[in-house]
Parts: sequence; C-alpha cells; structure tokens
Amino acid sequence: MAYLTDKLWRTFKPFLILKNLFRKPMTLQFPYESLPPVEGYRGRHVLDLDKCTGCFICCMICPNKAIGLVDFRGRKYPQVDLGKCCFCQLCEEYCSVKAIKLSKEAMMVTMDKESAILGPEALSKTPTQ
Amino acid sequence: MISDIESRLKSKFPDSLLNVVSKDKRITFSVKKEKFYSILSELKDIGFDHLSDVTAVDYIDEQEFELIYHLWSHREKIRAIVKVRIPREVPTVKSVVGLWTGAQMHEREDHELFGINFEGNPNLAELFLEDWEEIPPFRKDFDTRKYVKEKYYQEDEQYPIVKG
Amino acid sequence: MEEREIAFLTIPFGPQHPASGHFHALLKVDGETVLGLEPHPGYLHRGFEKLMEYRVHPQNCVLVDRADVLDPFSCELGYANAIEKIAGLEIPQRGRYIRTIMAELGRILSHITWIGVLSMVLGFDSANKIAWGDREKILRLNEIATGGRLYPCYLCIGGVRRDISQEFVDETSKALDYLEGQLSFYDYFVFKNETFVMRMEKVGRMSAEEAIDLGATGPNLRACGIDYDVRKDEPYEAYPEVEFNVITREEGDAYARSLCRRDEIAESISIVRQLLKNLPDGSYRVELGPECITLEGESYFCLESARGEKCFHVVSDGSPCPYRVKIRAPSFLHTLTEFPYLAKGSTIADIPAIYWSLDSCPADMDR
Repeated sequence: MAYLTDKLWRTFKPFLILKNLFRKPMTLQFPYESLPPVEGYRGRHVLDLDKCTGCFICCMICPNKAIGLVDFRGRKYPQVDLGKCCFCQLCEEYCSVKAIKLSKEAMMVTMDKESAILGPEALSKTPTQ
Repeated sequence: MISDIESRLKSKFPDSLLNVVSKDKRITFSVKKEKFYSILSELKDIGFDHLSDVTAVDYIDEQEFELIYHLWSHREKIRAIVKVRIPREVPTVKSVVGLWTGAQMHEREDHELFGINFEGNPNLAELFLEDWEEIPPFRKDFDTRKYVKEKYYQEDEQYPIVKG
Repeated sequence: MEEREIAFLTIPFGPQHPASGHFHALLKVDGETVLGLEPHPGYLHRGFEKLMEYRVHPQNCVLVDRADVLDPFSCELGYANAIEKIAGLEIPQRGRYIRTIMAELGRILSHITWIGVLSMVLGFDSANKIAWGDREKILRLNEIATGGRLYPCYLCIGGVRRDISQEFVDETSKALDYLEGQLSFYDYFVFKNETFVMRMEKVGRMSAEEAIDLGATGPNLRACGIDYDVRKDEPYEAYPEVEFNVITREEGDAYARSLCRRDEIAESISIVRQLLKNLPDGSYRVELGPECITLEGESYFCLESARGEKCFHVVSDGSPCPYRVKIRAPSFLHTLTEFPYLAKGSTIADIPAIYWSLDSCPADMDR
C-alpha cells in the first residue's frame, strides 16, 4: 500500500510545476521596459566648464590613460576616451575643485570608435537620465 | 611549539641558518643555498605537509634571485617561510618535486617567466606564452611598455584633437 | 600475421566558453576510456603581476578585481590588507564590518553562479536559468552599495570608498530571506534529483593524503575530511566576532564537494545576518598620511576566497609603485594538477562533471 501511494505521488508530482503559469515572469522585455539605474551608479562623465582649472590631476591618476588635455576656448580642458575608460571614479575622487563627476547615464552605444572620444563640449551636456 | 621547531633546526644545521624571526604563529628562515633541500625535507618530516607557493623575486642591483617557499602545517596550524638567494648569472637549483607533487606546476611557471632552472623537474615546457623569443618577461631589464609600442603601435600614440 | 599499430584518438576539450571556460585540454582516449589529459592554459594571461609594477597603489586597487572575475571582492580585500600591513594602518570598526559583509555576499554570488554553470554543462538547462535569475538579487545589492554590478572598485587602502545607506540594509534583509527560500527549492530540484546524483556520486574521488599532496584547498579539501579554513585558523577583518561552522564531509567525490558548497551558502547567510544586526557607527575610512607614498617592507597576507586559499605577497622598496606582487591563485593547482590526476581512468561523459565540481575559474588560473 505504501508502495502504491509512493508510485502515485511520484507520477503526479511533476504536474505541480504548472502553478508557474500564474506567476510573474523573471524577465523584462528590454527596449519597452527596463530597470532604472540607482543613485550613485557610475556612468558617463559630466564636466563643469566654469570650475575646471586644467590642473592635469585627472590625467595623471587615470589607470588606463583615457583622459587627455586639449585646447578649447583658449584654455586646456580634459577629453575622455570612453573606449579605454574603466569607470572607476578615481578622477572624481582626486579632482581638487570637483569639476568632473560621473552621472547615471548608462546607454552609451555607438558604431564607430572615433565618436567614443568625447571632447569638452560633449562632456558638458547634461545627462539624459 | 614554535620554540621546539626553532631549536630542533638550529641544533641540526648550525651554520646554514642566517636569520630566524618568529611572530604571531609564523616563522621565517633565511638559509644558505647549500643545504636548503635538507632543511625543507626536515620541515616536511616535522609536519609541514602543505606547500602553498614557490615565489621568485628579481633583485637586479644585487645580481641575485630570491626564492621563497611558503609552508603550512595542518596539525599545528603554523606557517613557515623559507628564503634562499641564488646568483643571477647561473640560476640553477634542485627541484622539490620529490617532496610535494604540487610543486611541479609552480616551478614550471617560474622557469618560464624568470628563467630559473630546476633540476629534476620532469616537464619544464612552456605554459602561458607561445613562440616567445625575447628574454623571460618578468625580469627587471625587460620593459613592457617599450615592447608593446614597438610591436603593436608603429608610431607614438597621439591623442586626436576633437572639436565639440 | 602482420603487426598492427594501435593509435589513440585525441579529442580537444576546447576553449569554447562556457562549456569549459577559457581553457583547453587534450584528451587521449581509447574507445570510451580516458587514458591521459594534457592541459594548455594561457588564454587569459594578461601579465597582472608585471603590470602592477608600473602603477601606484590607488590605481592598482581599482584594477586588481579583474584577477578573479567571479569573486572580485576577495582580490581587492587581499591587496588592500597586504599594503595596510606594511604601513601599519588600523581600520575603524565600521569599515571592517562593511568589508566582511561585502566579502560574504561575493561568496554567495560565486556559489550561485557555480550551481548555474554546473547544471548547464550536465544538460539541465532549467536550473541554469533559475540560478541566473537569483544572481540578479545580489547584483542589485552591489549596484546600490558600490555603483557597479560586476566590478565594484569599492575597497581601498584605509577602508571603503562610500558609506552604506539604510536602503542597502533593508534590501539585503529582503534578498537574504528570498535566497533562503530558494535553497530549499534547489535541494529538491537539483541536489536530490536522481539524474544529478547518478552523475556525480562516486565520480572523481580522492583521498585525504592525495588531496594534500596535490595542493588542494577550499571546499575541495574540506570534502575529504580535513578542516582547513583560513577564516578560523588565521582570522582577519571582522571574523573573530561572528560565529559560524566549518563544513566538512568524508567521501571526497564530486557529490560531496557539491554539498559542501551548498551548505556554505547557508553559513554565509547567517554570517551576514549577524553582522547587520550589530553594525557599529563611526567612520568608515582612515585618512592616509604622506608616509604612504614611500613604503618599505614586505608582507604576506592569506584569505579564504570562494575557491580556496588566496595569498598576496607584496615587496615594496620605497618608491610609490610596488617592487613585486605575487598572487597565489587557488584555481592554478586545481586545474593543472588535480584535474589530470582525477581524469585518468574515467569515461568521456564524466569529464565535465569532474571539471566543474572542482570549481576553477580560468581568469584566476592565468592572471
């Protein structure tokens, strides 16, 4: 008798998995719904053109040499190569006047490598998120 | 327990131990090159049956390599560190594969990256690098940046000026 | 009768990811039996130890978590502690508690990833997808605390870079309750599944003496009966102030190693709960003085990562960059000495089960 109930239970137990049909799925359909990044996410850099003094500290501390200095409006400003950057936030931590910060913008997609180098004007645009 | 080990080794090898330091359950021995294999097998008989690592450091100013053996004893929970110096011109040393089997792979990695020769190791073929023709890369007279610039970037990289 | 030549077939257990990770092995087979195995590592060799000699200490702290991709907190913890030992710095208590919490969350993440990949390699795709959904809970916690999901760049010399908020504490408690419910689900779905047990029991067995001689550490050694856990034998960070058990088993085969890792997830959940209950107030970071630019000395620090015993040997000679850094990786000996030893005499179908029950990460092996 115990053998028969055990056999019946093992035959019908797998059908209990059908209860998953009535549960919320684990996945999100990406372009239409997405998880917003949290406060403090390390995304694209934002530069404040009035505060920056051109002191060269962010270029020296970057571990991958992704920041370089260029001439813009008669002074030196940083430009960032997003292909080499590892988004570690050391440039924000060591900046003496807090001019360069990392924002929450995470969608940085492009098809050619040249447009991944952002000059000072592109860096000063407000982020989209 | 630590003082027993120290006194036992000091009485058996009075001339070969250069410096002994013991602190917080760790003993560090600096030994001369001639008897280091007997010291290691004596330590294995005492109970140090786990070999963690075989490290090599390149002191180019003193023209010497330093080999460091890290040992651990499961019964007594003590760590022992043995340091040996060998000359840089002829870096040849006896292999410890007979005592611990796991040492074979550590010695193979040190041979490929530093050029140290271990006598008695059954297989010293290349491990990570393929078709390598320069000097062993982890030595101090090999400049990584100069090698990469000459081989992969034909001129100096300039930051391109981007307007806007 | 003419002489016959016997030729053996060589099959590559190839470097396609994720079937074997980025690792290549050549099997020599005769019919279904494996006669020998020759490993060819080096697909992920970046020369970490040489590259770290050209960068200063804050830059190294941020790049070293790529040395073991699946458990990045252990690498950062090891390097930061080795430098602090040379400099003689004391970390405040809140900083030590936060570091221990993040290290244990990293251990849970690594073990859940291991369940997913092992099931996929054995052909059990449903468990793989469910494990990948459970990983999301911990990656979301990483994002709230540190700002990045996979590469945290969070632990630095002197403490941690940011403070944790009340939102992190609430979300962690909810995630731990969810993961505890999932553990009982995995028990019924994966670990007591008849096919899983038949494929893993009595496969890849080693005795205690063989394991010590070949250099095994971590759950691979504890499944043979030896209780060696660096968190209990040489405690560091906040581990002297929590209570936990060291899990050991007797059999030494692939099934025993799997059950060891499953029980370690439960122990880590209880450790994080104890730490969150007693979290102290105060500062989380120590200001570094100018003496940290010119450090001179040598230190050796050992810790317990998800795979085994990981050690950092740092030599510094007075300049801002270190003179020599050596990372003792646990996966180096697991893949290159134990895997060929256990594969001799088994069948071809047992090879993935043996390899993934040893839990080796190719990024950790090659550095």
